[in-house]
Amino acid sequence: MDLKFSPQDEQYRERLRAWLDVNLKQHQAVSKAGDVDPVQAARDWQKTLCEGGYLGLSWPREYGGQEASLTQQVVVSEELARSGAPAPINTIGISILGPTLIQHGSEEQKQRYLPKILNGEELWCQGFSEPGAGSDLASLQTRAIEDGDHFVVNGQKVWTSLGMIADWCFLLVRTNPDAPKREGISYLLCNMKTPGITVRPLRNAGGGSHFCEMFFDDVRIPRENLVGEVNGGWRIARSTLDNERSGLSGVISIENNLDRLLNLSISLNRGKQRAIDSDSVQQQLAQLWIEKEGLKYLGFRNLSDQIANRLPGPAASVGKLFASRLRQKIGKAGFDIAGPLAQVGKKSPHSIARGRLQATYFDSLGYSIGGGTSEIMQNIIAEKVLGLPRSYED
Amino acid sequence: MHFELSEEQNAIYDLVVGFMADKWSGDNRRQGLDSFPCQVPGELVREIADLGFFGISIRENSGGGGEPLLTSALIVEAAGGGLFPSLLTTTLVAAKALELCGADSNWLARLIAGQQTVAIAIEEPNGCWGPDAIELTAQMDGQGGYLSGSKILVADGDFAQVFLVAALLPDGPALIRVDADAEGVQINSMRRLDGQSIVELEMKDVRFEQDDVLGDGAILNQVYDIWTVLIAADLLGNAQSVLRMTTDYAKERQQFARPIGSFQAVAHRLADIQVDVEIGRSLLYGACLALEDESAEAEALVSAAKSWMNDLGVKAAEAGLQLHGGIGYTWELDIHLHLRQARSNAVTLGDSKYHRARVASHLMSPEY
Repeated sequence: MDLKFSPQDEQYRERLRAWLDVNLKQHQAVSKAGDVDPVQAARDWQKTLCEGGYLGLSWPREYGGQEASLTQQVVVSEELARSGAPAPINTIGISILGPTLIQHGSEEQKQRYLPKILNGEELWCQGFSEPGAGSDLASLQTRAIEDGDHFVVNGQKVWTSLGMIADWCFLLVRTNPDAPKREGISYLLCNMKTPGITVRPLRNAGGGSHFCEMFFDDVRIPRENLVGEVNGGWRIARSTLDNERSGLSGVISIENNLDRLLNLSISLNRGKQRAIDSDSVQQQLAQLWIEKEGLKYLGFRNLSDQIANRLPGPAASVGKLFASRLRQKIGKAGFDIAGPLAQVGKKSPHSIARGRLQATYFDSLGYSIGGGTSEIMQNIIAEKVLGLPRSYED
Repeated sequence: MHFELSEEQNAIYDLVVGFMADKWSGDNRRQGLDSFPCQVPGELVREIADLGFFGISIRENSGGGGEPLLTSALIVEAAGGGLFPSLLTTTLVAAKALELCGADSNWLARLIAGQQTVAIAIEEPNGCWGPDAIELTAQMDGQGGYLSGSKILVADGDFAQVFLVAALLPDGPALIRVDADAEGVQINSMRRLDGQSIVELEMKDVRFEQDDVLGDGAILNQVYDIWTVLIAADLLGNAQSVLRMTTDYAKERQQFARPIGSFQAVAHRLADIQVDVEIGRSLLYGACLALEDESAEAEALVSAAKSWMNDLGVKAAEAGLQLHGGIGYTWELDIHLHLRQARSNAVTLGDSKYHRARVASHLMSPEY
């Protein structure tokens, strides 16, 4: 048993660090200059990453990928997270749609879409959830009716990240309302400039506008934009959802949050002592560190499984559930440690860490909802890992 | 990057699970509670020795199995799940202690052959845990000296021929050999919550020679960490067993014409324990690897594992008791045995608060 990376991987890491040193600084300088459109700056950063060869690591070379080893993929996600580099703006396209197309797309679709997902030329959003289809996603109602060489789509999608700026959307629609619910769903690729699409931003609980609702009104999508077979979309979407859950890089962002909290507790005074000198703060931080280490070593176990070609399967829900709870504990601990000043807003006198604690807290609350709620993760673990009988009629 | 068990380790784990299912049961533990203390029969000790378990992580040229510490932890995990007494852990730790001290090879050979029990005496009646809390101070006299004082909670002290006693010498803490039949030694049995043997070792002017000083403070700390991580493994195996037992029951037991495991109030509680078990297993592997590699984070990871497993062991056993309903609250079901073992181990070699404090001092150290 060992956690060492090979000398080749370590050299690769060194090269990446040197690359980040130059390119990340440049990006940060441009972003700070002020008069740049933040979306354009984010697209440019993604293009830089792509040209550097640090995106699409697992993808085939013919579609712009790197065919890098799993350990190199880990090195990249570790170093990007550690350096504080922003995630590529097209993360949804890269982590969800890309692998789906590689697995299920036609040759034309792969050549047409994959390179532009990677270089950020086309931004993607995901049209899955609906007002009436959240945890029970397969009950979605957005209708698509075949009309010659087109599908005509009517319905509503919601919680769509990047909906306001995306160029394209990958969409689940009902093509057969009479079939059992999982057997009447199709997977379409929709150009967001198609007539009949209305996008409205939704403010999230933290005050940001990171997601949207989308209305489809007689939207015509060419048949060539169908992924896989008509009514075969659910199986394809399932593989997409698994991609969403098996990500590993979350540990480092959690580690960064925890390190910030530790530094805060050293710099903040509570009465005549530092926050960190209080026994209860020490106990709380230690518990968070213990859980972070547990998640980290669970990640190493999952990674070793993947290297040995064993798929994480339902066990990925364990990490997802635990990570979102840990993020929330860290978010709440920020309020505990900051004490009376935790409530002060970011532009006020005496605000702490420029409002970051509050943002971390609100961000953390979304993790147990997006990508499958914690309650659904518990169901999956109970049914698929422990083999308990299903708790609901389906 | 290779963070998984070897084929050999998986095979040993399965072997021990099967061995425990064949040779040991909750009934043995219930008897131990009624007619204290719970004792492992000599023939079973010999069988375990013949399988090579006691010396599994001892160097091959010392007659051991040459396996990493994690293999010992896996054996203890499987044994803990089968409610096997602490004798196995005690002997595994004593063997590592003798190896670390560079003790006489014949002595080590006797130990791993199951011919002798060596108990380790660290804790004192001062309400604290750990090597830092040791107050017993040797009275030096030329090359040797005398020990007077009391050690408590000494696991398997009722069966030990030899004690390794942690005491303060003029140049710091040390491990000192004291024979059970030495003059001035008195052994008072203490009943552990789970029916196992722990003792008070009372010493009055017990003589030791220079040769009896086996290890220094650094070795004492290593022994403490190894022992702590093995107790964590016992707690993990215990939780895993309770989870399996309770999950099986939840699939069978019918109420309202459905298996109770189909109710989310039951299913989600079990799912949460599954999550905590997986995190615990990850921490156990990480801590064992860090100890093996002598990593700077080893002590913090050992404490992380122990703290997590303390909470997990108790939480799992209490949930198991609750989810079994009325039958869970009976003497005949093994759940209370698991709970007794978990509750005892959770305050052996440091409770969760103690270990979180050790983690906190790591976080506050300049090296972090």
